[in-house]
Amino acid sequence: MKDNDSIKIAITDNSTIIRAGIASVLKRLSNHNFTINEIANLDALKIFIRLHTPDILIINPLILSNNNITLSVKKEFPTIKTIAILSSFIDQKTLADFDDTISIFDDTETINTKLEELLAEDDEETTDTEQLSLREKEIIACVVKGMTNKAIADKLSISIHTVITHRRNITKKLQIHSAAGLAIYAIVNKIVEIQDIKDGIN
Amino acid sequence: MNHINRYKPTDKMSNIIFRNYSLISVMSRFGLPLGFGEKTVKEICDKQNVDCNTFLAVVNFIEEEQYGYEYDAENEQISLPALMDYLKQAHSYFLDFNLPSIRKKLKEALELEPKNNDVTQSILLFYDKYETEVNRHMEYENKFVFEYVENLISGKDTGSYRIKNFAQKHNHIEKNLTELKNIIIKYYPQETCNNLLNATLFDIFHCESDLNLHCKLEDELFTPAVAELEKRLVNER
Repeated sequence: MKDNDSIKIAITDNSTIIRAGIASVLKRLSNHNFTINEIANLDALKIFIRLHTPDILIINPLILSNNNITLSVKKEFPTIKTIAILSSFIDQKTLADFDDTISIFDDTETINTKLEELLAEDDEETTDTEQLSLREKEIIACVVKGMTNKAIADKLSISIHTVITHRRNITKKLQIHSAAGLAIYAIVNKIVEIQDIKDGIN
Repeated sequence: MNHINRYKPTDKMSNIIFRNYSLISVMSRFGLPLGFGEKTVKEICDKQNVDCNTFLAVVNFIEEEQYGYEYDAENEQISLPALMDYLKQAHSYFLDFNLPSIRKKLKEALELEPKNNDVTQSILLFYDKYETEVNRHMEYENKFVFEYVENLISGKDTGSYRIKNFAQKHNHIEKNLTELKNIIIKYYPQETCNNLLNATLFDIFHCESDLNLHCKLEDELFTPAVAELEKRLVNER
Protein backbone atom coordinates (compact mmCIF):
# COMPACT_ATOMS: atom_id res chain seq x y z
CA MET A 1 0.00 0.00 0.00
CA LYS A 2 1.51 3.30 -1.04
CA ASP A 3 0.90 6.63 0.49
CA ASN A 4 -1.59 8.73 -1.43
CA ASP A 5 0.26 11.94 -0.80
CA SER A 6 1.36 13.67 -3.91
CA ILE A 7 5.07 13.94 -4.67
CA LYS A 8 6.18 17.21 -6.21
CA ILE A 9 8.57 16.88 -9.11
CA ALA A 10 10.15 19.70 -11.07
CA ILE A 11 11.60 18.83 -14.48
CA THR A 12 14.10 21.38 -15.74
CA ASP A 13 15.43 21.06 -19.25
CA ASN A 14 15.44 23.46 -22.17
CA SER A 15 14.14 20.80 -24.54
CA THR A 16 10.35 20.66 -24.61
CA ILE A 17 10.46 17.12 -26.02
CA ILE A 18 12.61 15.84 -23.17
CA ARG A 19 10.50 17.59 -20.54
CA ALA A 20 7.23 16.31 -21.96
CA GLY A 21 8.78 12.88 -22.45
CA ILE A 22 9.90 12.54 -18.85
CA ALA A 23 6.57 13.89 -17.63
CA SER A 24 4.66 11.31 -19.62
CA VAL A 25 6.87 8.45 -18.40
CA LEU A 26 6.28 9.60 -14.82
CA LYS A 27 2.52 9.66 -15.40
CA ARG A 28 2.68 5.97 -16.30
CA LEU A 29 4.12 5.10 -12.91
CA SER A 30 0.77 4.78 -11.24
CA ASN A 31 2.02 3.71 -7.82
CA HIS A 32 2.73 7.33 -6.96
CA ASN A 33 0.71 10.45 -7.30
CA PHE A 34 3.06 12.95 -8.92
CA THR A 35 2.55 16.67 -9.29
CA ILE A 36 4.80 17.63 -12.16
CA ASN A 37 6.06 21.05 -13.15
CA GLU A 38 8.00 21.71 -16.30
CA ILE A 39 10.61 24.44 -16.15
CA ALA A 40 12.54 25.61 -19.20
CA ASN A 41 15.35 27.71 -17.81
CA LEU A 42 17.41 28.52 -14.74
CA ASP A 43 15.79 31.85 -13.96
CA ALA A 44 12.34 30.30 -13.78
CA LEU A 45 13.77 27.46 -11.67
CA LYS A 46 15.29 29.84 -9.15
CA ILE A 47 11.95 31.54 -8.57
CA PHE A 48 9.98 28.30 -8.61
CA ILE A 49 12.16 26.57 -6.05
CA ARG A 50 11.89 29.45 -3.64
CA LEU A 51 8.09 29.50 -3.82
CA HIS A 52 7.27 25.80 -4.11
CA THR A 53 9.95 23.50 -2.85
CA PRO A 54 9.69 20.26 -4.85
CA ASP A 55 10.49 16.82 -3.45
CA ILE A 56 12.50 15.82 -6.49
CA LEU A 57 14.33 18.01 -8.97
CA ILE A 58 15.06 16.36 -12.30
CA ILE A 59 17.45 18.59 -14.19
CA ASN A 60 19.67 18.61 -17.22
CA PRO A 61 23.19 19.34 -15.90
CA LEU A 62 24.08 21.03 -19.19
CA ILE A 63 21.79 24.00 -18.61
CA LEU A 64 23.62 24.71 -15.39
CA SER A 65 26.84 25.62 -17.27
CA ASN A 66 29.11 27.03 -14.57
CA ASN A 67 26.25 27.86 -12.32
CA ASN A 68 26.60 25.60 -9.36
CA ILE A 69 22.96 25.53 -8.49
CA THR A 70 22.87 21.90 -7.35
CA LEU A 71 25.21 22.68 -4.50
CA SER A 72 23.32 25.77 -3.46
CA VAL A 73 20.01 23.92 -3.74
CA LYS A 74 21.41 21.20 -1.50
CA LYS A 75 22.51 23.76 1.02
CA GLU A 76 19.32 25.78 1.09
CA PHE A 77 16.82 22.93 0.60
CA PRO A 78 18.47 19.79 1.97
CA THR A 79 15.31 17.71 1.51
CA ILE A 80 15.21 18.03 -2.29
CA LYS A 81 16.49 14.99 -4.14
CA THR A 82 18.25 15.82 -7.38
CA ILE A 83 18.36 13.67 -10.50
CA ALA A 84 20.48 14.54 -13.54
CA ILE A 85 19.05 14.00 -17.01
CA LEU A 86 21.65 12.41 -19.29
CA SER A 87 21.01 13.19 -22.92
CA SER A 88 24.64 13.03 -24.02
CA PHE A 89 28.02 12.24 -22.53
CA ILE A 90 28.60 14.12 -19.30
CA ASP A 91 31.69 14.28 -17.16
CA GLN A 92 31.33 12.10 -14.06
CA LYS A 93 32.67 14.89 -11.88
CA THR A 94 29.67 17.05 -12.79
CA LEU A 95 27.36 14.26 -11.71
CA ALA A 96 28.86 13.81 -8.26
CA ASP A 97 26.53 16.43 -6.78
CA PHE A 98 23.38 14.57 -7.86
CA ASP A 99 21.51 11.88 -5.97
CA ASP A 100 20.93 9.88 -9.14
CA THR A 101 20.83 10.06 -12.93
CA ILE A 102 18.26 9.20 -15.58
CA SER A 103 19.41 8.59 -19.13
CA ILE A 104 17.03 9.34 -21.98
CA PHE A 105 17.64 5.71 -23.01
CA ASP A 106 16.46 4.24 -19.70
CA ASP A 107 13.31 2.14 -19.91
CA THR A 108 10.25 2.76 -17.75
CA GLU A 109 11.16 -0.07 -15.39
CA THR A 110 14.63 1.37 -14.70
CA ILE A 111 13.28 4.86 -14.09
CA ASN A 112 10.65 3.42 -11.78
CA THR A 113 13.27 1.54 -9.77
CA LYS A 114 15.46 4.62 -9.45
CA LEU A 115 12.57 6.73 -8.18
CA GLU A 116 11.45 4.01 -5.79
CA GLU A 117 14.94 3.87 -4.34
CA LEU A 118 15.11 7.63 -3.90
CA LEU A 119 11.69 7.79 -2.30
CA ALA A 120 12.24 4.74 -0.14
CA GLU A 121 14.99 6.46 1.81
CA ASP A 122 12.42 8.58 3.62
CA ASP A 123 9.93 5.81 4.04
CA GLU A 124 9.91 3.92 7.26
CA GLU A 125 9.03 0.27 7.42
CA THR A 126 5.70 -0.38 5.72
CA THR A 127 3.13 -2.74 7.06
CA ASP A 128 1.49 -4.95 4.51
CA THR A 129 -1.31 -6.50 6.52
CA GLU A 130 -4.41 -4.40 6.56
CA GLN A 131 -6.09 -6.22 9.41
CA LEU A 132 -6.38 -4.03 12.45
CA SER A 133 -5.31 -5.44 15.77
CA LEU A 134 -7.62 -5.30 18.78
CA ARG A 135 -5.44 -2.63 20.33
CA GLU A 136 -5.64 -0.54 17.18
CA LYS A 137 -9.44 -0.73 17.26
CA GLU A 138 -9.38 0.46 20.86
CA ILE A 139 -7.22 3.38 19.80
CA ILE A 140 -9.61 4.28 16.95
CA ALA A 141 -12.52 4.29 19.38
CA CYS A 142 -10.64 6.76 21.58
CA VAL A 143 -9.51 8.99 18.71
CA VAL A 144 -12.99 9.40 17.25
CA LYS A 145 -14.36 10.26 20.68
CA GLY A 146 -12.01 13.23 20.56
CA MET A 147 -9.51 12.04 23.16
CA THR A 148 -5.98 13.45 23.11
CA ASN A 149 -2.95 11.19 22.77
CA LYS A 150 -2.20 11.81 26.43
CA ALA A 151 -5.71 10.80 27.52
CA ILE A 152 -5.55 7.67 25.36
CA ALA A 153 -2.17 6.73 26.84
CA ASP A 154 -3.52 7.11 30.38
CA LYS A 155 -6.67 5.15 29.68
CA LEU A 156 -4.90 2.21 28.07
CA SER A 157 -1.87 2.42 30.39
CA ILE A 158 0.65 2.76 27.56
CA SER A 159 3.13 5.51 26.68
CA ILE A 160 2.24 8.45 24.42
CA HIS A 161 4.95 7.26 22.08
CA THR A 162 3.17 3.91 21.70
CA VAL A 163 -0.13 5.68 21.01
CA ILE A 164 1.53 7.69 18.25
CA THR A 165 3.05 4.56 16.72
CA HIS A 166 -0.34 2.84 16.76
CA ARG A 167 -1.97 5.85 15.13
CA ARG A 168 0.67 5.92 12.42
CA ASN A 169 0.11 2.24 11.70
CA ILE A 170 -3.66 2.75 11.56
CA THR A 171 -3.21 5.54 9.03
CA LYS A 172 -0.99 3.31 6.93
CA LYS A 173 -3.32 0.33 7.01
CA LEU A 174 -6.55 2.18 6.30
CA GLN A 175 -5.20 5.13 4.29
CA ILE A 176 -7.38 7.39 6.42
CA HIS A 177 -5.60 10.50 7.65
CA SER A 178 -8.20 12.40 9.65
CA ALA A 179 -10.17 11.77 12.83
CA ALA A 180 -13.41 12.54 10.97
CA GLY A 181 -12.47 9.89 8.41
CA LEU A 182 -11.72 7.34 11.13
CA ALA A 183 -15.12 8.15 12.61
CA ILE A 184 -16.87 6.96 9.45
CA TYR A 185 -14.76 3.80 9.48
CA ALA A 186 -15.55 3.23 13.16
CA ILE A 187 -19.30 3.59 12.56
CA VAL A 188 -19.28 1.29 9.53
CA ASN A 189 -17.41 -1.34 11.52
CA LYS A 190 -19.49 -0.79 14.65
CA ILE A 191 -16.49 0.13 16.80
CA VAL A 192 -18.40 3.08 18.29
CA GLU A 193 -21.92 4.55 18.37
CA ILE A 194 -22.95 7.65 16.43
CA GLN A 195 -23.42 9.61 19.66
CA ASP A 196 -19.77 9.01 20.62
CA ILE A 197 -18.45 10.71 17.49
CA LYS A 198 -20.95 13.56 17.57
CA ASP A 199 -19.43 14.60 20.87
CA GLY A 200 -15.90 13.93 19.67
CA ILE A 201 -15.70 15.53 16.25
CA ASN A 202 -17.17 18.91 17.03
CA MET B 1 6.70 29.38 -23.33
CA ASN B 2 4.81 27.53 -25.96
CA HIS B 3 2.78 30.09 -27.87
CA ILE B 4 1.53 27.93 -30.69
CA ASN B 5 -1.46 26.39 -29.04
CA ARG B 6 -2.39 29.36 -26.96
CA TYR B 7 -5.63 31.21 -27.37
CA LYS B 8 -5.35 34.72 -28.73
CA PRO B 9 -7.54 37.83 -28.39
CA THR B 10 -8.73 37.30 -31.95
CA ASP B 11 -10.01 33.73 -31.37
CA LYS B 12 -13.74 33.16 -31.31
CA MET B 13 -14.97 32.83 -27.74
CA SER B 14 -17.34 29.96 -28.53
CA ASN B 15 -14.50 27.91 -30.06
CA ILE B 16 -12.63 28.00 -26.77
CA ILE B 17 -15.46 26.20 -24.99
CA PHE B 18 -16.01 23.77 -27.85
CA ARG B 19 -12.40 22.69 -27.51
CA ASN B 20 -12.42 22.32 -23.74
CA TYR B 21 -15.75 22.26 -21.97
CA SER B 22 -14.27 22.60 -18.50
CA LEU B 23 -13.59 26.24 -19.39
CA ILE B 24 -17.31 27.02 -19.03
CA SER B 25 -16.73 27.57 -15.33
CA VAL B 26 -13.99 30.11 -16.12
CA MET B 27 -16.47 32.12 -18.18
CA SER B 28 -18.91 32.46 -15.33
CA ARG B 29 -16.18 33.32 -12.84
CA PHE B 30 -15.15 36.20 -15.08
CA GLY B 31 -18.80 37.21 -15.37
CA LEU B 32 -19.07 36.42 -19.07
CA PRO B 33 -22.60 35.18 -19.87
CA LEU B 34 -23.19 32.60 -22.63
CA GLY B 35 -24.56 33.52 -26.06
CA PHE B 36 -21.22 34.50 -27.54
CA GLY B 37 -22.31 34.39 -31.20
CA GLU B 38 -19.42 35.02 -33.56
CA LYS B 39 -17.66 37.48 -31.26
CA THR B 40 -13.95 37.24 -30.48
CA VAL B 41 -12.35 36.99 -27.05
CA LYS B 42 -11.29 40.62 -27.19
CA GLU B 43 -14.76 41.86 -28.19
CA ILE B 44 -16.51 39.93 -25.42
CA CYS B 45 -13.96 40.97 -22.77
CA ASP B 46 -14.16 44.64 -23.75
CA LYS B 47 -17.93 44.57 -23.69
CA GLN B 48 -18.03 43.07 -20.18
CA ASN B 49 -15.11 45.14 -18.89
CA VAL B 50 -12.91 42.12 -18.27
CA ASP B 51 -9.13 42.35 -18.59
CA CYS B 52 -8.45 40.37 -21.75
CA ASN B 53 -4.83 39.41 -20.95
CA THR B 54 -5.75 38.02 -17.55
CA PHE B 55 -8.68 36.10 -18.99
CA LEU B 56 -6.41 34.54 -21.61
CA ALA B 57 -3.72 33.77 -19.02
CA VAL B 58 -6.24 31.77 -16.96
CA VAL B 59 -7.77 30.02 -19.98
CA ASN B 60 -4.36 29.12 -21.37
CA PHE B 61 -3.17 27.91 -17.99
CA ILE B 62 -6.08 25.51 -17.67
CA GLU B 63 -5.75 24.40 -21.29
CA GLU B 64 -2.02 23.72 -21.02
CA GLU B 65 -2.28 22.11 -17.63
CA GLN B 66 -3.63 18.98 -19.33
CA TYR B 67 -0.35 18.56 -21.16
CA GLY B 68 1.98 19.83 -18.46
CA TYR B 69 2.09 23.54 -17.82
CA GLU B 70 5.45 25.11 -18.25
CA TYR B 71 6.34 27.26 -15.28
CA ASP B 72 7.23 30.75 -16.31
CA ALA B 73 7.91 33.28 -13.61
CA GLU B 74 7.84 36.32 -15.83
CA ASN B 75 4.36 35.78 -17.03
CA GLU B 76 2.52 37.87 -19.58
CA GLN B 77 0.89 41.06 -18.50
CA ILE B 78 -1.50 39.69 -15.90
CA SER B 79 -3.55 42.28 -14.09
CA LEU B 80 -3.43 41.29 -10.43
CA PRO B 81 -6.72 43.04 -9.54
CA ALA B 82 -8.47 41.18 -12.37
CA LEU B 83 -6.89 37.87 -11.34
CA MET B 84 -7.94 38.41 -7.72
CA ASP B 85 -11.49 39.15 -8.85
CA TYR B 86 -11.47 35.86 -10.69
CA LEU B 87 -10.11 33.97 -7.67
CA LYS B 88 -12.73 35.56 -5.39
CA GLN B 89 -15.48 34.52 -7.79
CA ALA B 90 -14.03 31.02 -7.84
CA HIS B 91 -14.07 30.93 -4.03
CA SER B 92 -17.66 32.02 -4.01
CA TYR B 93 -18.51 29.34 -6.58
CA PHE B 94 -17.07 26.59 -4.35
CA LEU B 95 -18.41 27.92 -1.05
CA ASP B 96 -21.84 29.18 -2.09
CA PHE B 97 -22.72 26.83 -4.90
CA ASN B 98 -20.67 23.71 -5.53
CA LEU B 99 -20.02 22.39 -2.02
CA PRO B 100 -23.60 23.01 -0.77
CA SER B 101 -25.10 21.37 -3.85
CA ILE B 102 -22.89 18.30 -3.43
CA ARG B 103 -23.98 18.09 0.21
CA LYS B 104 -27.63 18.18 -0.79
CA LYS B 105 -27.16 15.43 -3.35
CA LEU B 106 -25.04 13.35 -0.98
CA LYS B 107 -27.67 13.59 1.74
CA GLU B 108 -30.46 12.55 -0.65
CA ALA B 109 -28.39 9.65 -1.96
CA LEU B 110 -27.48 8.37 1.49
CA GLU B 111 -31.05 8.71 2.76
CA LEU B 112 -32.09 6.14 0.16
CA GLU B 113 -30.46 3.60 2.47
CA PRO B 114 -32.16 4.14 5.83
CA LYS B 115 -30.50 1.04 7.27
CA ASN B 116 -27.21 2.91 7.20
CA ASN B 117 -28.54 5.90 9.06
CA ASP B 118 -25.59 6.10 11.45
CA VAL B 119 -23.09 5.85 8.62
CA THR B 120 -24.96 8.61 6.79
CA GLN B 121 -24.70 10.84 9.81
CA SER B 122 -20.99 10.20 10.20
CA ILE B 123 -20.37 10.97 6.52
CA LEU B 124 -22.33 14.22 6.74
CA LEU B 125 -20.38 15.16 9.87
CA PHE B 126 -17.18 14.65 7.90
CA TYR B 127 -18.54 16.70 5.02
CA ASP B 128 -19.61 19.59 7.22
CA LYS B 129 -16.22 19.65 8.84
CA TYR B 130 -14.64 19.70 5.39
CA GLU B 131 -16.81 22.61 4.27
CA THR B 132 -15.71 24.58 7.32
CA GLU B 133 -12.09 23.84 6.46
CA VAL B 134 -12.48 25.05 2.86
CA ASN B 135 -14.27 28.10 4.13
CA ARG B 136 -11.41 28.96 6.46
CA HIS B 137 -8.83 28.39 3.73
CA MET B 138 -10.57 30.63 1.21
CA GLU B 139 -11.57 33.33 3.67
CA TYR B 140 -7.92 33.59 4.66
CA GLU B 141 -7.02 34.24 1.04
CA ASN B 142 -9.92 36.66 0.52
CA LYS B 143 -9.29 38.66 3.65
CA PHE B 144 -5.58 38.41 4.29
CA VAL B 145 -3.63 37.51 1.15
CA PHE B 146 -5.65 39.60 -1.29
CA GLU B 147 -5.59 42.55 1.07
CA TYR B 148 -1.81 42.26 1.27
CA VAL B 149 -1.59 42.37 -2.52
CA GLU B 150 -3.97 45.32 -2.72
CA ASN B 151 -1.82 47.21 -0.23
CA LEU B 152 1.24 46.27 -2.24
CA ILE B 153 -0.34 47.64 -5.41
CA SER B 154 -1.36 50.91 -3.78
CA GLY B 155 2.11 51.32 -2.29
CA LYS B 156 1.15 51.03 1.38
CA ASP B 157 3.58 49.66 3.95
CA THR B 158 3.05 45.91 4.10
CA GLY B 159 5.38 44.98 6.93
CA SER B 160 7.52 41.90 6.69
CA TYR B 161 4.93 39.55 5.15
CA ARG B 162 5.85 38.26 1.71
CA ILE B 163 3.92 36.12 -0.77
CA LYS B 164 6.62 33.50 -0.23
CA ASN B 165 5.16 32.90 3.25
CA PHE B 166 1.82 32.16 1.65
CA ALA B 167 3.25 30.01 -1.14
CA GLN B 168 5.15 27.73 1.21
CA LYS B 169 2.20 27.13 3.49
CA HIS B 170 -0.49 27.00 0.82
CA ASN B 171 -1.90 23.49 1.04
CA HIS B 172 -4.05 21.78 -1.50
CA ILE B 173 -7.51 21.90 -0.08
CA GLU B 174 -8.95 18.93 -1.99
CA LYS B 175 -7.06 16.43 0.16
CA ASN B 176 -9.85 15.71 2.62
CA LEU B 177 -12.44 15.53 -0.15
CA THR B 178 -10.27 12.85 -1.74
CA GLU B 179 -10.25 11.08 1.61
CA LEU B 180 -14.04 11.16 1.88
CA LYS B 181 -14.43 9.77 -1.62
CA ASN B 182 -11.89 7.02 -0.91
CA ILE B 183 -13.62 6.07 2.33
CA ILE B 184 -17.01 5.81 0.63
CA ILE B 185 -15.57 3.71 -2.18
CA LYS B 186 -13.65 1.42 0.16
CA TYR B 187 -15.86 1.13 3.21
CA TYR B 188 -19.44 2.20 2.49
CA PRO B 189 -21.63 -0.83 3.35
CA GLN B 190 -23.85 -0.96 0.29
CA GLU B 191 -26.06 -3.86 -0.73
CA THR B 192 -27.52 -2.70 -4.01
CA CYS B 193 -26.33 -0.12 -6.51
CA ASN B 194 -27.37 3.41 -5.83
CA ASN B 195 -27.24 5.55 -8.98
CA LEU B 196 -27.68 8.78 -7.08
CA LEU B 197 -24.73 7.98 -4.84
CA ASN B 198 -22.62 7.16 -7.89
CA ALA B 199 -23.65 10.43 -9.51
CA THR B 200 -22.64 12.23 -6.32
CA LEU B 201 -19.26 10.52 -6.43
CA PHE B 202 -18.85 11.81 -9.99
CA ASP B 203 -19.56 15.31 -8.69
CA ILE B 204 -17.02 14.83 -5.93
CA PHE B 205 -14.38 13.64 -8.41
CA HIS B 206 -15.06 16.67 -10.53
CA CYS B 207 -15.00 19.08 -7.60
CA GLU B 208 -11.76 17.48 -6.42
CA SER B 209 -9.98 18.12 -9.70
CA ASP B 210 -11.53 21.58 -9.95
CA LEU B 211 -10.18 22.47 -6.51
CA ASN B 212 -6.82 21.00 -7.40
CA LEU B 213 -6.64 23.13 -10.54
CA HIS B 214 -7.76 26.18 -8.59
CA CYS B 215 -4.96 25.75 -6.04
CA LYS B 216 -2.45 25.11 -8.82
CA LEU B 217 -3.51 28.29 -10.53
CA GLU B 218 -2.90 30.17 -7.30
CA ASP B 219 0.52 28.53 -6.99
CA GLU B 220 1.65 28.92 -10.56
CA LEU B 221 -0.05 32.04 -11.89
CA PHE B 222 -1.03 34.19 -8.93
CA THR B 223 1.94 33.69 -6.57
CA PRO B 224 4.69 34.30 -9.16
CA ALA B 225 2.88 37.43 -10.40
CA VAL B 226 2.86 38.78 -6.84
CA ALA B 227 6.50 37.79 -6.31
CA GLU B 228 7.36 39.67 -9.50
CA LEU B 229 5.57 42.77 -8.21
CA GLU B 230 7.42 42.52 -4.89
CA LYS B 231 10.73 42.31 -6.73
CA ARG B 232 9.88 45.34 -8.85
CA LEU B 233 8.96 47.38 -5.77
CA VAL B 234 12.22 46.47 -4.04
CA ASN B 235 14.19 47.54 -7.10
CA GLU B 236 12.38 50.87 -7.30
CA ARG B 237 13.24 51.78 -3.76
